[in-house]
Amino acid sequence: MMAQLVTQILRGIERWYSIPLLLLLWQVAVGSGLVESRLLPSLLQVWAVLVKDTANGVLPYHTAITLGRAATGFALAAIAGVPFAAAMARSIVIRNLFEPIFFFGYPVPKIAFFPVFTYIFGIGSPSKVAFAFLECVYPIVVTAYLGFRAIPQPLIWTAENMGASPATIIRRVVFPAATPGIFTGLRIALPVSIIVIVLTEMISDSKGLGYYIAVSGTRFEYANVYAAILVIGVCGFVLDRALLLVRDKSVYWERDEDALHL
Amino acid sequence: MKISAAVQHWIVPVALLAAWEVCGDAALLPRYLPPPSQILAALYEVAADGELLQAVSISLYRVVLGFALGTGAGTFVGLAAGLVPAIRHFFDPLVSFLYAIPKIAFLPIFLLLFGLGHESKIAITAFSCFFPVFIASRYAALSVGKHLVWVARNMGAPRSTIFFRVFIPAAAPQLFSGARIGLANSFVILFAAELIGSRGGLGVLISEGEDAARFDLMFAGIITFGILGFAADRILMTIRRHALRGQIIGTVEQLVR
Repeated sequence: MMAQLVTQILRGIERWYSIPLLLLLWQVAVGSGLVESRLLPSLLQVWAVLVKDTANGVLPYHTAITLGRAATGFALAAIAGVPFAAAMARSIVIRNLFEPIFFFGYPVPKIAFFPVFTYIFGIGSPSKVAFAFLECVYPIVVTAYLGFRAIPQPLIWTAENMGASPATIIRRVVFPAATPGIFTGLRIALPVSIIVIVLTEMISDSKGLGYYIAVSGTRFEYANVYAAILVIGVCGFVLDRALLLVRDKSVYWERDEDALHL
Repeated sequence: MKISAAVQHWIVPVALLAAWEVCGDAALLPRYLPPPSQILAALYEVAADGELLQAVSISLYRVVLGFALGTGAGTFVGLAAGLVPAIRHFFDPLVSFLYAIPKIAFLPIFLLLFGLGHESKIAITAFSCFFPVFIASRYAALSVGKHLVWVARNMGAPRSTIFFRVFIPAAAPQLFSGARIGLANSFVILFAAELIGSRGGLGVLISEGEDAARFDLMFAGIITFGILGFAADRILMTIRRHALRGQIIGTVEQLVR
């Protein structure tokens, strides 16, 4: 019992020591004056800014805006993308019409079109949500489509043989079989939505974490930059874990134990 | 009437372009959506006076160097992490924390460290490229079948032979997937970095067109950037197909092609 606890603690240290170690090195490097503190504010400074801007509501305000935009774009992309992928996988005409758009459009850096989005949708939230939708819909549609197409045909034949209606086949055979693929796409798209929103907020906006970072950077307030980076990191980590939890609950028959749970 | 698949592939893009051109010529679209013919004319204009070539070469120089540095470092450290538990335990928590953070958030710090020129763009491109490549390489190294290595060892192959002839080929498909994501990341981050703070490059060309309300110029830059990203991906995928001859038969990928 005791020995087990000790091994568990030792394993925990072995797995996580690098973060505190680097933070310690950071603090020592700045504290001893080896690195100029303007460029690399000490951990304590970052922490002080984090506490102050959380208490006065500035960081929560910008975080809520960023997360709200990211969630909207992501949700719209998931709601539109998954059924569309299913349609592409089932209908040859739809596939022929839209496959080139997705497979040729996939590697095109869509960020280049963001300036156009700001003209069409305006500078505020709509252009960012629309752009997050565009960036998320690609991985969601492509991976879900591959998931739908990789369903073994015998599964569908078996269901048909047993007299299942087309609706039942889609609901009970096709969707469950494609769920792992759907979740892979969602998991790629989730950080993409946050990245895209922060990025576009840095390019042009007056609120959101991206704006907060850009403004703090031009004011040389680097402690604020690091504080915001920390907030984004924690949010992204928590959201990814939450999605993983949902995945393991819905795809309970295919847990990916060896996968790097990043 | 049966329309062949190849024709169907072209219907949507051609219809969109035609509708855009017709509406644009009839002045039905706002000024910021110039018709394709005007964009082509602008593209010819900047290409003819050499402005485009200069911007393209600056952006390409940055993206190629950044991608090469980031992918090289990511592959090396990732494979090392897959092979050596101590290295893995050191990098895993760091990567899993930094992975979810948009790397562009570090731009103010890179700008201060490296200035507005090439160096800051190359550095942040390499930085953002490192993470997906690291993850794919680490995962690839871990998933190489032990039996393959055992068989080679049993036959008396020296360590270097095992590494280059067994280990790397077995890991190669995933190494390429990582490099592909890294390449896409490189273009995105470079574009954003050039828009936010830069001297020279396609991003600057685009924002200059925007500032001067020359939307045809803006689109010319946008389309050039899109083509560059697309072509880079195609080149990488061609290399991949040659390198992995025989390994992609019977996979989903073949189904899609």
